[in-house]
Amino acid sequence: MSAPQLKRWLPWAILALLVLLIVWRMLYLGTVSERFNAAFFARAAIDSVKLGSLYALIALGYTMVYGIIRLINFAHGEVFMVGAFATYFLFTITPYSLPGGIALAIVMAYAAMRVTELFRGSMRDPLVLGVGVVAVVGLTWALTSFTWPFWAALVGSMLATGVLGLTIDRVAYVPLRTAPRNSLLITAIAVSFLLQNVGLLAFTNRQTPFRPDTPLNDPFTLVVAGQPVLTNNLLVAIPVITLVLVLALTSFVTRSRLGKAMRASAQDAEVAQMMGVSVNKVIATTFLLGSILAAAGGAMWGLNFGSLNQPATLGILPGIKAFAAAVIGGIGSLPGAVIGAMIIGFSENFMSALFPRTPTFQGVTEFKDTFAFVLLIIVLLVRPSGIVGEDLSEKV
Amino acid sequence: MALHQTPTAFDDVDPRKRVRNVALTFVAIGLGVLVLMLLESIGSSKLTQSLALFAIWGVATVSLNLINGTLGILSLGHHGFMLIGGYTTGLLILDEAARARILTSARSMMTEESLAISVTSMLRSLGLDALTTPETLWVRFLIAIFLGGLMAAFAGLIVGIPSLRLRGDYLAIVTFGFGEIIRLSASTRLFAEYTNGALGFPGLTSEFGKSIWWTFGVLAFTVFVISKLKFSSYGRAMQAIREDEVAAQAMGINLAYHKVLGFVISAFFAGVAGGLWVSWLGGVRLDFFLFQLTFFFLVAISAGGTGSITGVLLGTALVVFVRQYGDPLEQTYTLQQWLAFAGGALVLMAALAVLFRSLRRLRPRFHWSAGVLAGAAVLAFVIAAIDPAFLEGTFRGFGMRAIFLSVLLIAIMVFRPEGMIGRNEFSWAMLLRERRSGPTDEERGQDAWLTNPVLNPRGTDVDPEAGPQKPTAPGRAAARELDADWDEGVDEASRDGTDGSRAPDDGPDDGPDDERRR
Repeated sequence: MSAPQLKRWLPWAILALLVLLIVWRMLYLGTVSERFNAAFFARAAIDSVKLGSLYALIALGYTMVYGIIRLINFAHGEVFMVGAFATYFLFTITPYSLPGGIALAIVMAYAAMRVTELFRGSMRDPLVLGVGVVAVVGLTWALTSFTWPFWAALVGSMLATGVLGLTIDRVAYVPLRTAPRNSLLITAIAVSFLLQNVGLLAFTNRQTPFRPDTPLNDPFTLVVAGQPVLTNNLLVAIPVITLVLVLALTSFVTRSRLGKAMRASAQDAEVAQMMGVSVNKVIATTFLLGSILAAAGGAMWGLNFGSLNQPATLGILPGIKAFAAAVIGGIGSLPGAVIGAMIIGFSENFMSALFPRTPTFQGVTEFKDTFAFVLLIIVLLVRPSGIVGEDLSEKV
Repeated sequence: MALHQTPTAFDDVDPRKRVRNVALTFVAIGLGVLVLMLLESIGSSKLTQSLALFAIWGVATVSLNLINGTLGILSLGHHGFMLIGGYTTGLLILDEAARARILTSARSMMTEESLAISVTSMLRSLGLDALTTPETLWVRFLIAIFLGGLMAAFAGLIVGIPSLRLRGDYLAIVTFGFGEIIRLSASTRLFAEYTNGALGFPGLTSEFGKSIWWTFGVLAFTVFVISKLKFSSYGRAMQAIREDEVAAQAMGINLAYHKVLGFVISAFFAGVAGGLWVSWLGGVRLDFFLFQLTFFFLVAISAGGTGSITGVLLGTALVVFVRQYGDPLEQTYTLQQWLAFAGGALVLMAALAVLFRSLRRLRPRFHWSAGVLAGAAVLAFVIAAIDPAFLEGTFRGFGMRAIFLSVLLIAIMVFRPEGMIGRNEFSWAMLLRERRSGPTDEERGQDAWLTNPVLNPRGTDVDPEAGPQKPTAPGRAAARELDADWDEGVDEASRDGTDGSRAPDDGPDDGPDDERRR
């Protein structure tokens, strides 16, 4: 078989082999104990889909930013963390006092204006200004007068976190647009470390319960092969919300004017600039959208696990796993990020499902967190362009 | 005429000065020892500990700088190498009492066989019983940190291999991944036999880690080896790789060999630093080797000057100072006091911004950002002064040192990416403000060949004895003339109108221009 043919078939052969091995292992486990029935693996699959959707929301931010400015935005995991805590504070400690409410309302209104601007093209557009005015007044009223339901907290946190993304870009990355890429990466690490410690200082330094009063948490029983699998509405809600957000993002990127500018900048920022694209604005938009998605991911992460880790550790592992997902799928590609996230989600859950803690198998689940790194390194070494990505080999 | 036999214009140190420099170095070392003795005689344990910490972290940063600065690869896995060195040293020098305690403890995961591993038992099996007495503990410690370094060097070999295929930020993330893999796997059951899981081994001797003499001795050895390496042909090759990999390869430099060599040597010293670090801490635990360790080293390197050993040590001193003496930042104050501090800091920042802009002759001198800072400061003061009742609560600045260091790193990257002293190294000539007869690095890169009689036999109007200078106008004219003769051109810089001389504000060296194009 010739080399190109081999190159085409080998991944599929490996995949088929992997699937066969997994099925064989599942059947084998079924013979070992009653516990490992269809419902057991259905639960693992459900958890995988949920986790994969959450990783996808984070991975999209990584992939968009890397696609345009070739920066591994280390701070993205911390943006996700801030999104989770912002949601928490919006549904627990509302109503706010008037000064706090006004300040928060201004922040959120600014994000709302930026989001409206994506469709209108200018901050001076009457609709954008109108949204701003209405949002400041409305949000101030809402923040100071009643406890927010979960969905409102989710939207509010997405807006507030969007502003955080814009701020990070403006303060730390804009001055370094022409700097060597290593400086940019070091700055990103510094921003990440800063946000971790500010989070510790400003939010809390311990595990936080995250149980909003929302129908999404209601129990829901699924019947698989005659056996009930107890789960909750999140099974549907997380993938659906993710799907809606991803579709909205994809249609924005493929259809709108700014989306076209985004794709142009990803292809070649310099030429795009020459063609009249405001690359800085495109990058700011990327940060805005990425942070909004990460905040949604953070809020649902809290819902899914029922609690939030302390701020210094919450963002790191999901962030790095989502980055691994983005690389596996092919960095710079939106569908690639989702595919990669699902791969990470499934591998993580099935590693513990296929190799449960038995006297003979002690070690495998302990390598759950390590596995994402191993996968990342293998993909980078073997196929740096990922599953669907284009070749990113460096030009000399 | 063979080129390498000819004394060139670059060979600038005359033999008499070389003798003087060596003498001065010995005097300085003697003075350094005296100062250390003086500082130790003060008897403040915090001071000696901080000095020891400076030396230990100095070993780590100088070795990290070999990869990050000399080789130009951003490595983020140094905490992993230190972990390997630390755990190896810890296991090897643990004393019998501590071993017995671990073995009898119910939660311990170590077995009798793993606990039998020690330098003592190795020496016994070699028949060197004389070295197993309590008085010769220092020999065993030396062997232990050496073996720890070797283990880490082996890990460095493995981590270095991806560097052959990957570049830039992908490589950085792979080194980060390796560091985290090392850290995460250390606690798993697979390795718990040797690492004792999350418990680690308490009760290590701090005799060496907290001794100034040991740590500074190791630091001096590290600096000696790494600076020798940096200025050897290996180091020059590494620097060539840093500047342009493709060009270096074209000049016949073996990329794979030099990169892996850099990783292995750096990892070795990281392992040694890890061994000293656990001795300083008096125990081994997983959370002594978090990523934040590498982050602090990055701050030190960037603050001092990436690529410069002198600069890195300066940066390490800064970071260690903040870590050891920054605790007033983390105490509890009332919100009013915090606001006043914040206002003061903002005023200072605004003043510095204005000063900076006027020194650099930037206009407008009062940039809007200074206005924003000053406005925020005024707001803070007004709130602190007018409404004391509003802010009576207290607030503990938990983690303020880390926040300070990360803000510092961002500020360095934005305002002064070359750090305190850039890539310059300390030299007696620099200290004595001696003028070099050879060209500066910048000239070397550009029209330096003009002043070299070997390379430019036609001669120029530039007097080689006149000391450091920018190429003068006649020199440039000669360059253009030659350029016309020589189709391949001299250098891009002398053609594109900038004449190869940069504005003095541009900083000594802000990285290869190639980076920008990618």
